Amino acid sequence: MNLERTVRIKNGFLEITETKSEREGPKASRAYPIPAATVISLFSSHLKVVRGKPSVTGTLTEQEWKKQAMDSDDDLRPEEMVPLSQIPEWSDVVPVPKTTVPIRWRLVLEALNADLDEELDYVERIAKKNSKNYQIWHHRRWVSEKLGLMLQLRNFSLPGRFFPLMLKIIMPGPTGRLVVLLLLPWVLQALGGWEDELDYCGQLLEDDVFNNSAWNQRYFVITRSPFLGGLKTMRESEVKYTVEAILANPENESSWRYLRGLYKGDTQSLSNDLQVSSVCLKVLNGKTNHVFALSMLLDLLCHGFQANQEFRDAVNALRTSNADPPETDLAKAVCSVLEHFDPLRVNYWSFRKSKLPVSA
Amino acid sequence: MGTSAEEPPSPPPPLEWDQSSSDGEEPSPSTSISFDRDRHVAYLEMMYQMLPSYYQSQEINRLTLAYFTISGLDILGALDRVDKDAVASWVLSFQAHPGDKNQLNNGQFYGFQGSRSSQFPLGCDGVLIHNLSHLASTYCALATLKTVGYNLSNVDSKSILTSMRNLQQPDGSFLPIHIGAETDLRFVYCAAAICFMLGDWNGMDREKAKEYIIKCQSYDGGFGMVPGSESHGGGTYCAVASLRLMGFMEDDILSTSGASSVIDLPLLLEWCLQRQAADGGFQGRPNKPSDTCYAFWVGAVLRILGGYKLIDGKALREFLITCQSKYGGFGKFPGELPDIYHSYYGCTAFSLLEEPGLNSLSFELGITDVAALGI
Repeated sequence: MNLERTVRIKNGFLEITETKSEREGPKASRAYPIPAATVISLFSSHLKVVRGKPSVTGTLTEQEWKKQAMDSDDDLRPEEMVPLSQIPEWSDVVPVPKTTVPIRWRLVLEALNADLDEELDYVERIAKKNSKNYQIWHHRRWVSEKLGLMLQLRNFSLPGRFFPLMLKIIMPGPTGRLVVLLLLPWVLQALGGWEDELDYCGQLLEDDVFNNSAWNQRYFVITRSPFLGGLKTMRESEVKYTVEAILANPENESSWRYLRGLYKGDTQSLSNDLQVSSVCLKVLNGKTNHVFALSMLLDLLCHGFQANQEFRDAVNALRTSNADPPETDLAKAVCSVLEHFDPLRVNYWSFRKSKLPVSA
Repeated sequence: MGTSAEEPPSPPPPLEWDQSSSDGEEPSPSTSISFDRDRHVAYLEMMYQMLPSYYQSQEINRLTLAYFTISGLDILGALDRVDKDAVASWVLSFQAHPGDKNQLNNGQFYGFQGSRSSQFPLGCDGVLIHNLSHLASTYCALATLKTVGYNLSNVDSKSILTSMRNLQQPDGSFLPIHIGAETDLRFVYCAAAICFMLGDWNGMDREKAKEYIIKCQSYDGGFGMVPGSESHGGGTYCAVASLRLMGFMEDDILSTSGASSVIDLPLLLEWCLQRQAADGGFQGRPNKPSDTCYAFWVGAVLRILGGYKLIDGKALREFLITCQSKYGGFGKFPGELPDIYHSYYGCTAFSLLEEPGLNSLSFELGITDVAALGI
């Protein structure tokens, strides 16, 4: 089955025509006219109006529109850009609450998808030449701040690039002046949902488990996604996921921090979680890379974790000097071991030791 | 015997600018094991006189580059190389003045613009017709003025502070410029520093700003630039320095047992200390390579908290020396060619390490103590 979509801008409407054709069957077409005013109202607080080129009237071909977009961008001077809300002709346009945006916006995006690669190139070229020009970065990030949504870039396979693309449409505004819309297509896409975000994070981490940004993004998704139920709901499965990552690479600071972060604000549960203490023990009994496990154990002990003999044995096995009398206090012993295994931070571990409550 | 006239002292040998090395070859790292003060002075003085052509793309931030250069010379005790009056006049020429008092509430920010080109075109009577004042430029302007000893009471602070409020967002963050841009911790910091330097907190709502900062603390203890974003050395500096400037964090807080804090202090401390990597340098984020500038961004946070003594200063110093360029200045990574930004932060890092001969810094203001005190 073939699905063809075309988008036209005609007389102030965005007209999307879908044509489905079975291989040997009839064609069915539907047209969705969407008033340009509605498109604009969705982003009215973020649209800029530029001085229209007086010579252009009537309908334009796609080529002409693209050329307009290219040209006007070069002409854009900050002082000519005015927020839409300050233009009297647009005063009756009211922003549409995002929950009522119809699903057909995805059609706009997909239909225009063919332009996105080129658009991306264009944006990238501008951005590279003007990397210090804050306006470029602003355009790339404003929506994530305003709408609080995460970017999905998997279609473009760009790990680490979490910023949106720009897409420009030029259409006549209500008074016939040209309006340049800076639409961010991923916003439209993201309005559909967060479902795939966690998968995407998993993919990034599979590519590079040391990617700290990816761990941070994962945290953002599990805590903010309306589809996943929040941190508490996700905690158990996330702990399991993180423990696996830790066991594979115990020297990876990001995974340990993430594990601890899963218990943010709830250190009691952190010290009570058997998965956490047991991964510490496993790593301590391993051949190498003990530092983060020791540091986690120290935190657990400080938050009331009751260590059994297995832990004592594991820490004692790491003691390097038999000359020093063994510390009766496990937390103090951990600090001593850390002073040896993490010499860069010897002053810190000594400081931690000094802050420990005096053992009874 | 005294019959021949005394030879005048020969001028110091010119620095050898090794032409062969400028063809893209990796220069060998400086073989010096000490802080090369004289070379850094020469480098910064050269930048003060004229910027190399590859800085053209950063022309919009010229005032920032000036701040790095002049404050850098100040730290090195070489401010005599600078024409202080000329600098002050130059900086003041970037100030955007409102036409009349009523304009202060038109939503625009009347501070300092970052560059001459951003002031163009001027009106036919030479008056500024558009205002692109930027918070970062304003911070750099005031910091530079203080550095050259200009009395800030001569600056029209009322306009700056009154109009700066227009940039603060409902969530406490700041836009850097009224026409719109990203809002993040950098501009909260700029706003706080501006208010502090002008001695007047009417320019911002401190409580709201504090709330925003708190939201930026990540699950790992560091601070991201915006809530939810990855914790980062620069963001962490902006957060902690802002809290300190605004009066929400007491001095040397780690030494005060039982001190309460609006942020998670133990987690922050450990995050900062973990930023010192195996090579002795500081990284901006976990699992990233060490970079000269984080020796300041993270180091200054530790200084503010009273935890700097917990780092391995010797290892840090050794790392920074490998980033020191034989041309003067510092590069980002060992062996790299110098740039103004990393040169400045390399010098500030050595000041934090209390290198003899360097002036001490106001950690939260980013200028020398002497400049901060306005003596």
